[in-house]
Amino acid sequence: MIETQNLTKSYGKDRGIVDLNLEIESGEIFGFIGPNGAGKSTTIRTLLGLIFPTSGGGSIFGLDIVKKTKDIKKQIGYMPAEINYYHKMDVRELLDYSADFYDMDCRSRIEELADIFALDLDRKILDLSRGNQKKIAILQSLIHRPKLLILDEPTTSLDPLMRAKFFDILTEENSRGTTIFFSSHTLNEVQKLCRRVGIIKEGRIIAVENIETLRKKQLRIVQIEFSHPVKTDEIDCGGVIDPSAHLNSLNFMFSGEVNTLLQVLKEKEIKDLIIEEPTLEEIFMHYYEDKSEKERD
Amino acid sequence: MMLNKNIYFKELKLHRTSFIAWCLSIMVLILLDMALYPILMKDDFLKQLSVIFENPFLKGLMSAFGATLDGFVNVLGFYTARNTMFILLLGSFFSILIAGKILSQEEHEKTAEFLLTKPVTRSEVVWSKLVAYFSLLLTLNIVILITGFISIEIFKGDSEYRLAAFLIHTFYCFLLMLTVGAMGLFLSLWIKRGRPTTNISIGIIIGGYFIDAASKVTPKLDIIGYLSPFKYVDSSVLSPDYGLMWWRILYFLAISLLLFTLTFIIYKKKDILI
Repeated sequence: MIETQNLTKSYGKDRGIVDLNLEIESGEIFGFIGPNGAGKSTTIRTLLGLIFPTSGGGSIFGLDIVKKTKDIKKQIGYMPAEINYYHKMDVRELLDYSADFYDMDCRSRIEELADIFALDLDRKILDLSRGNQKKIAILQSLIHRPKLLILDEPTTSLDPLMRAKFFDILTEENSRGTTIFFSSHTLNEVQKLCRRVGIIKEGRIIAVENIETLRKKQLRIVQIEFSHPVKTDEIDCGGVIDPSAHLNSLNFMFSGEVNTLLQVLKEKEIKDLIIEEPTLEEIFMHYYEDKSEKERD
Repeated sequence: MMLNKNIYFKELKLHRTSFIAWCLSIMVLILLDMALYPILMKDDFLKQLSVIFENPFLKGLMSAFGATLDGFVNVLGFYTARNTMFILLLGSFFSILIAGKILSQEEHEKTAEFLLTKPVTRSEVVWSKLVAYFSLLLTLNIVILITGFISIEIFKGDSEYRLAAFLIHTFYCFLLMLTVGAMGLFLSLWIKRGRPTTNISIGIIIGGYFIDAASKVTPKLDIIGYLSPFKYVDSSVLSPDYGLMWWRILYFLAISLLLFTLTFIIYKKKDILI
Protein backbone atom coordinates (compact mmCIF):
# COMPACT_ATOMS: atom_id res chain seq x y z
CA MET A 1 0.00 0.00 0.00
CA ILE A 2 2.70 2.48 1.06
CA GLU A 3 6.31 1.79 0.22
CA THR A 4 9.35 4.01 0.53
CA GLN A 5 12.88 3.32 -0.63
CA ASN A 6 15.65 5.28 1.09
CA LEU A 7 13.34 8.25 1.25
CA THR A 8 15.40 11.26 2.30
CA LYS A 9 14.40 14.85 2.80
CA SER A 10 16.75 17.48 4.14
CA TYR A 11 16.02 21.15 4.49
CA GLY A 12 19.23 23.15 4.61
CA LYS A 13 20.90 22.29 7.87
CA ASP A 14 17.85 20.64 9.39
CA ARG A 15 17.79 16.89 9.45
CA GLY A 16 14.39 16.03 8.03
CA ILE A 17 14.34 12.31 7.29
CA VAL A 18 17.16 9.98 6.27
CA ASP A 19 17.01 6.75 4.24
CA LEU A 20 13.51 5.90 5.31
CA ASN A 21 12.33 2.44 4.32
CA LEU A 22 8.74 1.68 5.16
CA GLU A 23 6.30 -0.88 3.95
CA ILE A 24 2.68 -0.67 4.98
CA GLU A 25 0.42 -3.48 3.97
CA SER A 26 -3.01 -3.13 2.54
CA GLY A 27 -5.73 -3.28 5.20
CA GLU A 28 -3.54 -2.78 8.26
CA ILE A 29 -3.50 -0.09 10.91
CA PHE A 30 0.06 1.09 11.22
CA GLY A 31 1.27 3.28 14.07
CA PHE A 32 4.06 5.71 13.31
CA ILE A 33 5.63 6.63 16.60
CA GLY A 34 8.28 9.15 17.50
CA PRO A 35 8.93 12.18 19.68
CA ASN A 36 8.14 15.67 18.37
CA GLY A 37 10.59 16.72 15.69
CA ALA A 38 11.58 13.15 14.83
CA GLY A 39 10.35 13.46 11.23
CA LYS A 40 6.82 12.10 11.36
CA SER A 41 5.20 15.08 9.68
CA THR A 42 8.06 15.40 7.21
CA THR A 43 7.51 11.78 6.16
CA ILE A 44 3.77 12.32 5.76
CA ARG A 45 4.18 15.58 3.85
CA THR A 46 6.64 13.94 1.49
CA LEU A 47 4.23 11.06 0.90
CA LEU A 48 1.49 13.58 0.11
CA GLY A 49 3.59 15.67 -2.26
CA LEU A 50 3.60 18.85 -0.17
CA ILE A 51 7.38 18.64 -0.13
CA PHE A 52 9.66 16.76 -2.48
CA PRO A 53 12.25 14.09 -1.58
CA THR A 54 15.91 15.08 -1.70
CA SER A 55 16.72 11.50 -2.68
CA GLY A 56 15.08 8.11 -2.67
CA GLY A 57 11.41 7.72 -3.42
CA GLY A 58 8.20 6.01 -2.65
CA SER A 59 4.88 4.81 -3.88
CA ILE A 60 1.30 4.60 -2.66
CA PHE A 61 -1.13 2.15 -4.32
CA GLY A 62 1.86 1.33 -6.54
CA LEU A 63 1.88 4.93 -7.89
CA ASP A 64 4.94 7.17 -7.64
CA ILE A 65 4.52 9.80 -4.89
CA VAL A 66 6.08 12.57 -7.00
CA LYS A 67 4.70 11.83 -10.46
CA LYS A 68 1.25 10.45 -9.69
CA THR A 69 0.31 12.56 -6.72
CA LYS A 70 -3.10 13.58 -8.06
CA ASP A 71 -4.21 9.99 -8.68
CA ILE A 72 -2.95 8.97 -5.27
CA LYS A 73 -4.84 11.76 -3.49
CA LYS A 74 -8.15 10.71 -5.00
CA GLN A 75 -8.06 7.72 -2.64
CA ILE A 76 -6.53 9.34 0.43
CA GLY A 77 -8.07 10.99 3.46
CA TYR A 78 -5.56 13.16 5.29
CA MET A 79 -5.88 14.68 8.69
CA PRO A 80 -3.14 17.19 9.51
CA ALA A 81 -1.55 17.65 12.93
CA GLU A 82 -2.43 21.33 13.03
CA ILE A 83 -5.76 22.51 11.78
CA ASN A 84 -5.74 25.55 9.54
CA TYR A 85 -8.85 26.22 7.52
CA TYR A 86 -10.30 29.19 5.68
CA HIS A 87 -11.49 31.45 8.49
CA LYS A 88 -14.29 33.08 6.56
CA MET A 89 -16.04 29.78 5.79
CA ASP A 90 -18.53 28.03 7.97
CA VAL A 91 -18.18 24.31 8.61
CA ARG A 92 -20.63 23.20 5.93
CA GLU A 93 -19.00 25.43 3.32
CA LEU A 94 -15.59 23.96 4.05
CA LEU A 95 -16.84 20.38 3.93
CA ASP A 96 -18.71 21.04 0.68
CA TYR A 97 -15.60 22.64 -0.75
CA SER A 98 -13.61 19.61 0.31
CA ALA A 99 -16.21 17.19 -1.09
CA ASP A 100 -16.30 18.96 -4.47
CA PHE A 101 -12.76 17.80 -5.17
CA TYR A 102 -13.94 14.21 -5.36
CA ASP A 103 -16.30 12.86 -7.97
CA MET A 104 -18.98 11.70 -5.60
CA ASP A 105 -21.91 12.90 -3.56
CA CYS A 106 -20.77 13.17 0.05
CA ARG A 107 -23.73 15.03 1.55
CA SER A 108 -25.34 12.17 3.44
CA ARG A 109 -21.97 11.08 4.80
CA ILE A 110 -21.31 14.63 6.04
CA GLU A 111 -24.62 14.70 7.92
CA GLU A 112 -24.05 11.23 9.32
CA LEU A 113 -20.57 12.00 10.65
CA ALA A 114 -21.55 15.45 11.94
CA ASP A 115 -24.21 13.69 13.94
CA ILE A 116 -21.80 11.15 15.41
CA PHE A 117 -19.29 13.81 16.44
CA ALA A 118 -21.92 16.35 17.50
CA LEU A 119 -20.52 18.99 15.16
CA ASP A 120 -22.64 22.03 14.32
CA LEU A 121 -22.30 22.52 10.56
CA ASP A 122 -23.52 26.12 10.56
CA ARG A 123 -20.87 27.63 12.82
CA LYS A 124 -18.04 29.78 11.51
CA ILE A 125 -14.75 27.90 11.64
CA LEU A 126 -13.06 30.81 13.39
CA ASP A 127 -15.53 30.61 16.29
CA LEU A 128 -14.87 26.94 17.02
CA SER A 129 -12.62 25.54 19.74
CA ARG A 130 -9.51 23.52 18.85
CA GLY A 131 -11.35 20.31 19.63
CA ASN A 132 -14.23 21.17 17.33
CA GLN A 133 -11.85 22.21 14.57
CA LYS A 134 -10.23 18.82 14.95
CA LYS A 135 -13.64 17.25 14.32
CA ILE A 136 -13.88 19.13 11.02
CA ALA A 137 -10.55 17.60 10.09
CA ILE A 138 -11.84 14.15 10.96
CA LEU A 139 -14.95 14.63 8.80
CA GLN A 140 -12.96 16.16 5.99
CA SER A 141 -10.68 13.12 5.89
CA LEU A 142 -13.53 10.60 5.91
CA ILE A 143 -16.39 11.95 3.77
CA HIS A 144 -15.15 10.62 0.41
CA ARG A 145 -14.61 7.09 1.72
CA PRO A 146 -10.87 6.90 1.02
CA LYS A 147 -8.93 3.64 0.71
CA LEU A 148 -6.10 5.02 2.79
CA LEU A 149 -6.29 7.29 5.81
CA ILE A 150 -3.20 9.24 6.77
CA LEU A 151 -3.64 10.72 10.22
CA ASP A 152 -1.00 12.99 11.70
CA GLU A 153 -1.37 13.08 15.48
CA PRO A 154 -5.14 12.90 15.13
CA THR A 155 -6.15 12.75 18.77
CA THR A 156 -4.51 15.86 20.20
CA SER A 157 -7.15 18.24 21.59
CA LEU A 158 -9.90 15.61 21.37
CA ASP A 159 -11.63 14.86 24.66
CA PRO A 160 -11.71 11.20 25.81
CA LEU A 161 -15.31 10.70 24.68
CA MET A 162 -14.61 11.96 21.17
CA ARG A 163 -11.39 9.99 21.07
CA ALA A 164 -13.33 6.83 21.80
CA LYS A 165 -15.88 7.64 19.08
CA PHE A 166 -13.06 8.41 16.69
CA PHE A 167 -11.36 5.08 17.41
CA ASP A 168 -14.67 3.30 16.85
CA ILE A 169 -14.99 4.95 13.45
CA LEU A 170 -11.43 4.00 12.58
CA THR A 171 -12.04 0.39 13.57
CA GLU A 172 -15.19 0.39 11.46
CA GLU A 173 -13.41 1.91 8.47
CA ASN A 174 -10.61 -0.60 8.85
CA SER A 175 -13.01 -3.54 8.92
CA ARG A 176 -14.36 -2.18 5.62
CA GLY A 177 -10.83 -2.53 4.23
CA THR A 178 -9.42 0.96 4.73
CA THR A 179 -5.70 1.05 5.46
CA ILE A 180 -4.76 3.45 8.24
CA PHE A 181 -1.43 5.17 8.78
CA PHE A 182 -1.52 6.80 12.15
CA SER A 183 1.21 8.98 13.64
CA SER A 184 1.55 9.73 17.31
CA HIS A 185 4.19 10.71 19.82
CA THR A 186 2.98 8.20 22.37
CA LEU A 187 2.87 4.47 21.97
CA ASN A 188 0.16 4.04 24.58
CA GLU A 189 -2.29 5.88 22.40
CA VAL A 190 -1.95 3.61 19.39
CA GLN A 191 -1.29 0.24 20.99
CA LYS A 192 -4.98 -0.62 21.28
CA LEU A 193 -5.59 0.15 17.65
CA CYS A 194 -2.46 -0.83 15.76
CA ARG A 195 -1.09 -4.22 14.91
CA ARG A 196 2.32 -2.93 13.90
CA VAL A 197 4.28 0.17 14.81
CA GLY A 198 7.24 1.90 13.23
CA ILE A 199 9.43 3.91 15.52
CA ILE A 200 11.18 6.98 14.13
CA LYS A 201 13.87 8.93 15.88
CA GLU A 202 16.00 11.79 14.58
CA GLY A 203 14.77 11.18 11.05
CA ARG A 204 15.54 7.45 10.96
CA ILE A 205 13.34 4.42 11.40
CA ILE A 206 14.84 2.54 14.31
CA ALA A 207 12.37 -0.33 14.50
CA VAL A 208 9.27 -1.77 12.96
CA GLU A 209 7.63 -4.21 15.34
CA ASN A 210 4.46 -6.07 16.07
CA ILE A 211 2.86 -4.66 19.20
CA GLU A 212 2.77 -8.20 20.61
CA THR A 213 6.48 -8.80 20.04
CA LEU A 214 7.24 -5.53 21.73
CA ARG A 215 5.16 -6.50 24.71
CA LYS A 216 6.89 -9.85 24.98
CA LYS A 217 10.36 -8.36 25.20
CA GLN A 218 11.60 -9.73 28.51
CA LEU A 219 12.40 -6.32 29.81
CA ARG A 220 12.26 -5.55 33.52
CA ILE A 221 12.79 -2.46 35.61
CA VAL A 222 15.16 -3.25 38.49
CA GLN A 223 15.67 -1.10 41.60
CA ILE A 224 18.22 -2.21 44.19
CA GLU A 225 18.97 -0.65 47.57
CA PHE A 226 22.48 -1.48 48.82
CA SER A 227 23.88 -1.02 52.29
CA HIS A 228 26.74 1.05 50.89
CA PRO A 229 27.17 3.78 48.23
CA VAL A 230 27.31 2.35 44.71
CA LYS A 231 28.52 3.26 41.23
CA THR A 232 26.82 2.40 37.94
CA ASP A 233 29.21 -0.51 37.29
CA GLU A 234 28.35 -2.21 40.58
CA ILE A 235 26.54 -5.07 38.85
CA ASP A 236 28.64 -6.96 36.34
CA CYS A 237 26.06 -8.92 34.43
CA GLY A 238 24.93 -9.15 30.79
CA GLY A 239 21.60 -7.47 30.03
CA VAL A 240 21.95 -4.39 32.23
CA ILE A 241 20.72 -1.35 30.31
CA ASP A 242 21.09 2.27 31.16
CA PRO A 243 22.12 1.95 34.84
CA SER A 244 21.86 4.99 37.08
CA ALA A 245 23.28 5.20 40.62
CA HIS A 246 22.31 7.55 43.42
CA LEU A 247 23.87 7.10 46.90
CA ASN A 248 22.97 3.55 47.93
CA SER A 249 20.47 2.85 45.20
CA LEU A 250 20.92 1.56 41.67
CA ASN A 251 18.26 1.57 38.95
CA PHE A 252 18.44 -0.10 35.54
CA MET A 253 16.50 -1.90 32.82
CA PHE A 254 17.29 -5.55 32.50
CA SER A 255 16.91 -7.70 29.42
CA GLY A 256 18.93 -10.80 30.45
CA GLU A 257 18.13 -13.94 32.41
CA VAL A 258 16.69 -13.10 35.82
CA ASN A 259 18.40 -16.17 37.28
CA THR A 260 21.85 -14.91 36.27
CA LEU A 261 21.07 -11.56 37.86
CA LEU A 262 20.07 -13.25 41.10
CA GLN A 263 23.33 -15.24 41.12
CA VAL A 264 25.28 -12.00 40.87
CA LEU A 265 23.16 -10.34 43.56
CA LYS A 266 23.76 -13.23 45.97
CA GLU A 267 27.38 -12.08 46.34
CA LYS A 268 26.27 -8.52 47.25
CA GLU A 269 24.91 -7.03 50.40
CA ILE A 270 21.55 -5.66 49.43
CA LYS A 271 18.78 -4.19 51.58
CA ASP A 272 15.93 -4.18 49.11
CA LEU A 273 15.09 -5.36 45.58
CA ILE A 274 12.22 -4.46 43.29
CA ILE A 275 11.73 -6.08 39.88
CA GLU A 276 8.73 -4.91 37.85
CA GLU A 277 7.29 -4.98 34.35
CA PRO A 278 7.69 -1.73 32.47
CA THR A 279 4.92 -0.02 30.48
CA LEU A 280 5.05 -0.35 26.72
CA GLU A 281 6.14 3.25 26.60
CA GLU A 282 9.14 2.55 28.79
CA ILE A 283 10.06 -0.49 26.74
CA PHE A 284 10.57 1.45 23.62
CA MET A 285 11.98 4.53 25.29
CA HIS A 286 14.79 2.54 26.88
CA TYR A 287 15.19 -0.38 24.56
CA TYR A 288 15.24 1.60 21.34
CA GLU A 289 17.04 4.67 22.57
CA ASP A 290 19.82 2.37 23.66
CA LYS A 291 19.76 0.43 20.41
CA SER A 292 19.90 3.49 18.20
CA GLU A 293 22.79 4.93 20.18
CA LYS A 294 24.77 1.71 19.80
CA GLU A 295 24.09 1.65 16.09
CA ARG A 296 25.41 5.15 15.70
CA ASP A 297 28.60 4.26 17.59
CA MET B 1 -4.29 22.45 -18.64
CA MET B 2 -7.37 21.93 -16.55
CA LEU B 3 -9.28 24.60 -14.74
CA ASN B 4 -10.52 23.41 -11.39
CA LYS B 5 -13.90 25.14 -11.08
CA ASN B 6 -13.99 24.49 -7.37
CA ILE B 7 -10.79 26.48 -6.78
CA TYR B 8 -11.73 29.13 -9.34
CA PHE B 9 -15.08 30.01 -7.78
CA LYS B 10 -13.75 29.83 -4.24
CA GLU B 11 -11.02 32.31 -5.23
CA LEU B 12 -13.55 34.70 -6.77
CA LYS B 13 -15.70 34.48 -3.68
CA LEU B 14 -12.73 35.14 -1.42
CA HIS B 15 -11.98 38.46 -3.15
CA ARG B 16 -15.59 39.44 -3.81
CA THR B 17 -16.02 42.08 -1.12
CA SER B 18 -12.68 43.78 -1.58
CA PHE B 19 -13.12 43.68 -5.35
CA ILE B 20 -16.46 45.47 -5.15
CA ALA B 21 -14.88 48.07 -2.87
CA TRP B 22 -12.05 48.67 -5.36
CA CYS B 23 -14.52 48.97 -8.25
CA LEU B 24 -16.76 51.41 -6.42
CA SER B 25 -13.87 53.64 -5.30
CA ILE B 26 -12.48 53.78 -8.79
CA MET B 27 -15.89 54.53 -10.31
CA VAL B 28 -16.58 57.34 -7.83
CA LEU B 29 -13.12 58.77 -8.38
CA ILE B 30 -13.52 58.84 -12.16
CA LEU B 31 -16.95 60.45 -11.98
CA LEU B 32 -15.98 63.09 -9.40
CA ASP B 33 -12.84 63.88 -11.31
CA MET B 34 -14.59 64.30 -14.63
CA ALA B 35 -17.24 66.45 -12.96
CA LEU B 36 -14.43 68.97 -12.39
CA TYR B 37 -13.81 69.26 -16.11
CA PRO B 38 -16.73 71.56 -17.02
CA ILE B 39 -15.97 73.74 -13.98
CA LEU B 40 -12.29 74.12 -14.92
CA MET B 41 -13.18 74.94 -18.49
CA LYS B 42 -15.07 78.08 -17.54
CA ASP B 43 -13.17 81.16 -18.79
CA ASP B 44 -11.70 82.50 -15.56
CA PHE B 45 -10.37 79.14 -14.39
CA LEU B 46 -8.66 78.55 -17.68
CA LYS B 47 -6.81 81.87 -17.36
CA GLN B 48 -5.60 80.95 -13.91
CA LEU B 49 -4.45 77.62 -15.25
CA SER B 50 -2.42 79.27 -18.00
CA VAL B 51 -0.61 81.30 -15.31
CA ILE B 52 0.48 78.05 -13.70
CA PHE B 53 1.77 76.71 -16.98
CA GLU B 54 3.81 79.88 -17.62
CA ASN B 55 5.91 79.23 -14.53
CA PRO B 56 8.76 76.98 -15.77
CA PHE B 57 9.05 75.08 -12.49
CA LEU B 58 5.37 74.38 -12.24
CA LYS B 59 5.26 73.52 -15.92
CA GLY B 60 7.94 70.90 -15.39
CA LEU B 61 6.10 69.56 -12.38
CA MET B 62 2.82 69.36 -14.22
CA SER B 63 4.37 67.60 -17.16
CA ALA B 64 5.80 65.03 -14.79
CA PHE B 65 2.22 64.03 -14.21
CA GLY B 66 1.44 64.08 -17.90
CA ALA B 67 -0.41 67.38 -17.93
CA THR B 68 -0.01 70.18 -20.43
CA LEU B 69 -2.34 73.13 -20.87
CA ASP B 70 -3.44 71.97 -24.32
CA GLY B 71 -3.95 68.52 -22.92
CA PHE B 72 -6.08 69.82 -20.10
CA VAL B 73 -8.38 71.73 -22.39
CA ASN B 74 -9.41 68.66 -24.36
CA VAL B 75 -11.77 66.31 -22.58
CA LEU B 76 -9.78 63.17 -23.42
CA GLY B 77 -6.52 64.92 -22.55
CA PHE B 78 -8.01 65.86 -19.20
CA TYR B 79 -9.34 62.35 -18.61
CA THR B 80 -6.04 60.74 -19.56
CA ALA B 81 -3.93 63.04 -17.39
CA ARG B 82 -6.15 62.40 -14.38
CA ASN B 83 -6.62 58.74 -15.28
CA THR B 84 -2.88 58.20 -15.39
CA MET B 85 -2.48 59.86 -12.06
CA PHE B 86 -5.16 58.05 -10.04
CA ILE B 87 -6.82 55.21 -11.87
CA LEU B 88 -3.68 53.68 -13.29
CA LEU B 89 -2.03 53.86 -9.90
CA LEU B 90 -5.00 52.35 -8.07
CA GLY B 91 -5.49 49.67 -10.71
CA SER B 92 -1.83 48.71 -10.46
CA PHE B 93 -2.07 48.46 -6.69
CA PHE B 94 -5.13 46.26 -7.01
CA SER B 95 -3.46 44.02 -9.56
CA ILE B 96 -0.11 43.55 -7.80
CA LEU B 97 -1.74 42.99 -4.40
CA ILE B 98 -4.26 40.41 -5.59
CA ALA B 99 -1.77 38.57 -7.78
CA GLY B 100 0.75 38.56 -4.95
CA LYS B 101 -1.83 36.89 -2.72
CA ILE B 102 -3.45 34.17 -4.81
CA LEU B 103 -0.77 31.58 -4.10
CA SER B 104 1.08 32.91 -1.08
CA GLN B 105 -1.95 33.49 1.11
CA GLU B 106 -2.68 29.75 1.15
CA GLU B 107 0.83 29.18 2.44
CA HIS B 108 0.74 32.03 4.90
CA GLU B 109 -2.57 30.96 6.40
CA LYS B 110 -1.45 27.34 6.11
CA THR B 111 -4.53 26.35 4.13
CA ALA B 112 -2.16 25.08 1.42
CA GLU B 113 -1.94 21.89 3.46
CA PHE B 114 -5.67 21.41 2.91
CA LEU B 115 -5.71 22.42 -0.74
CA LEU B 116 -2.63 20.53 -1.90
CA THR B 117 -3.68 17.26 -0.29
CA LYS B 118 -6.83 17.25 -2.42
CA PRO B 119 -6.67 15.51 -5.81
CA VAL B 120 -5.34 18.45 -7.81
CA THR B 121 -2.01 19.02 -9.51
CA ARG B 122 0.08 22.07 -8.70
CA SER B 123 -0.43 23.31 -12.27
CA GLU B 124 -4.19 23.11 -11.88
CA VAL B 125 -3.94 25.15 -8.69
CA VAL B 126 -1.85 27.87 -10.36
CA TRP B 127 -3.98 27.90 -13.48
CA SER B 128 -7.32 28.07 -11.65
CA LYS B 129 -6.12 30.88 -9.41
CA LEU B 130 -4.50 32.72 -12.29
CA VAL B 131 -7.71 32.61 -14.32
CA ALA B 132 -9.61 33.90 -11.27
CA TYR B 133 -7.14 36.79 -10.94
CA PHE B 134 -7.39 37.47 -14.66
CA SER B 135 -11.20 37.52 -14.47
CA LEU B 136 -11.08 40.09 -11.70
CA LEU B 137 -8.55 42.27 -13.49
CA LEU B 138 -10.51 42.13 -16.73
CA THR B 139 -13.76 42.98 -14.96
CA LEU B 140 -12.11 45.92 -13.20
CA ASN B 141 -10.87 47.23 -16.54
CA ILE B 142 -14.29 46.86 -18.12
CA VAL B 143 -15.69 48.85 -15.21
CA ILE B 144 -13.03 51.53 -15.79
CA LEU B 145 -13.76 51.53 -19.52
CA ILE B 146 -17.51 51.95 -19.11
CA THR B 147 -17.30 54.50 -16.29
CA GLY B 148 -14.64 56.43 -18.20
CA PHE B 149 -16.67 56.48 -21.39
CA ILE B 150 -19.89 57.52 -19.66
CA SER B 151 -18.22 60.24 -17.61
CA ILE B 152 -16.47 61.67 -20.69
CA GLU B 153 -19.76 61.68 -22.60
CA ILE B 154 -21.60 63.38 -19.75
CA PHE B 155 -19.06 66.12 -19.10
CA LYS B 156 -17.39 66.71 -22.47
CA GLY B 157 -19.43 69.82 -23.41
CA ASP B 158 -18.11 71.14 -26.75
CA SER B 159 -14.85 69.22 -26.60
CA GLU B 160 -14.24 66.59 -29.29
CA TYR B 161 -12.19 63.42 -28.92
CA ARG B 162 -11.25 60.22 -30.76
CA LEU B 163 -12.94 57.19 -29.28
CA ALA B 164 -10.14 54.97 -30.63
CA ALA B 165 -7.56 56.95 -28.65
CA PHE B 166 -9.59 56.45 -25.47
CA LEU B 167 -9.86 52.70 -26.09
CA ILE B 168 -6.18 52.30 -26.90
CA HIS B 169 -5.11 54.17 -23.78
CA THR B 170 -7.40 52.05 -21.63
CA PHE B 171 -5.91 48.94 -23.23
CA TYR B 172 -2.37 50.09 -22.43
CA CYS B 173 -3.41 50.64 -18.82
CA PHE B 174 -4.83 47.11 -18.69
CA LEU B 175 -1.56 45.69 -20.02
CA LEU B 176 0.41 47.61 -17.42
CA MET B 177 -1.79 46.28 -14.61
CA LEU B 178 -1.35 42.76 -15.96
CA THR B 179 2.43 43.16 -16.04
CA VAL B 180 2.75 44.44 -12.48
CA GLY B 181 0.40 41.62 -11.42
CA ALA B 182 2.79 39.10 -12.99
CA MET B 183 5.61 40.76 -11.06
CA GLY B 184 3.66 40.55 -7.80
CA LEU B 185 2.86 36.88 -8.30
CA PHE B 186 6.41 35.96 -9.24
CA LEU B 187 7.78 37.89 -6.28
CA SER B 188 5.44 36.19 -3.82
CA LEU B 189 6.95 32.79 -4.72
CA TRP B 190 10.27 33.74 -3.18
CA ILE B 191 9.00 34.79 0.21
CA LYS B 192 9.32 32.00 2.73
CA ARG B 193 6.08 30.62 4.16
CA GLY B 194 4.07 32.98 1.98
CA ARG B 195 4.47 36.09 4.10
CA PRO B 196 2.60 39.03 2.54
CA THR B 197 4.46 41.01 -0.10
CA THR B 198 2.37 44.14 0.41
CA ASN B 199 5.27 46.46 1.26
CA ILE B 200 7.51 45.41 -1.60
CA SER B 201 4.55 45.52 -3.99
CA ILE B 202 3.61 49.06 -3.01
CA GLY B 203 7.28 49.97 -3.33
CA ILE B 204 7.41 48.64 -6.88
CA ILE B 205 4.35 50.64 -7.93
CA ILE B 206 5.34 53.91 -6.25
CA GLY B 207 8.95 53.51 -7.43
CA GLY B 208 7.93 52.72 -11.00
CA TYR B 209 5.49 55.58 -11.03
CA PHE B 210 7.97 58.19 -9.84
CA ILE B 211 10.80 57.03 -12.09
CA ASP B 212 8.40 57.51 -14.99
CA ALA B 213 7.25 60.89 -13.66
CA ALA B 214 10.83 62.11 -13.22
CA SER B 215 11.73 61.03 -16.73
CA LYS B 216 9.06 63.32 -18.13
CA VAL B 217 10.37 66.48 -16.45
CA THR B 218 13.42 66.90 -18.65
CA PRO B 219 14.61 65.09 -21.78
CA LYS B 220 17.91 64.35 -19.99
CA LEU B 221 16.14 61.92 -17.71
CA ASP B 222 14.09 60.36 -20.48
CA ILE B 223 16.26 57.26 -20.73
CA ILE B 224 15.89 56.19 -17.07
CA GLY B 225 12.14 56.17 -17.57
CA TYR B 226 12.45 52.91 -19.48
CA LEU B 227 13.31 51.15 -16.23
CA SER B 228 9.71 51.67 -15.21
CA PRO B 229 6.81 49.74 -16.75
CA PHE B 230 4.75 52.94 -16.50
CA LYS B 231 6.91 54.46 -19.24
CA TYR B 232 5.49 51.98 -21.74
CA VAL B 233 1.96 53.31 -21.38
CA ASP B 234 1.64 55.91 -24.17
CA SER B 235 -0.39 58.82 -22.83
CA SER B 236 -0.03 61.21 -25.79
CA VAL B 237 -3.68 60.63 -26.68
CA LEU B 238 -4.03 63.98 -28.47
CA SER B 239 -1.22 63.31 -30.92
CA PRO B 240 -2.76 62.74 -34.36
CA ASP B 241 -0.82 59.53 -35.01
CA TYR B 242 -1.63 58.03 -31.59
CA GLY B 243 -2.13 54.30 -31.96
CA LEU B 244 -1.04 50.86 -30.81
CA MET B 245 2.72 50.42 -30.95
CA TRP B 246 3.95 46.86 -31.27
CA TRP B 247 7.03 47.31 -29.10
CA ARG B 248 4.98 48.63 -26.18
CA ILE B 249 2.55 45.73 -26.42
CA LEU B 250 5.41 43.27 -26.85
CA TYR B 251 7.10 44.64 -23.73
CA PHE B 252 4.02 44.09 -21.57
CA LEU B 253 3.08 40.71 -23.00
CA ALA B 254 6.63 39.34 -22.99
CA ILE B 255 7.24 40.23 -19.34
CA SER B 256 3.83 38.92 -18.23
CA LEU B 257 4.11 35.70 -20.18
CA LEU B 258 7.64 35.06 -18.98
CA LEU B 259 6.78 35.63 -15.32
CA PHE B 260 3.55 33.61 -15.46
CA THR B 261 5.38 30.72 -17.12
CA LEU B 262 8.16 30.82 -14.55
CA THR B 263 5.52 30.82 -11.82
CA PHE B 264 4.14 27.53 -13.14
CA ILE B 265 7.58 25.95 -13.32
CA ILE B 266 8.68 27.11 -9.88
CA TYR B 267 5.43 26.37 -8.06
CA LYS B 268 5.41 22.85 -9.45
CA LYS B 269 8.66 22.09 -7.65
CA LYS B 270 8.22 24.22 -4.60
CA ASP B 271 8.28 22.73 -1.11
CA ILE B 272 5.23 23.92 0.76
CA LEU B 273 6.40 24.49 4.32
CA ILE B 274 3.62 24.66 6.83
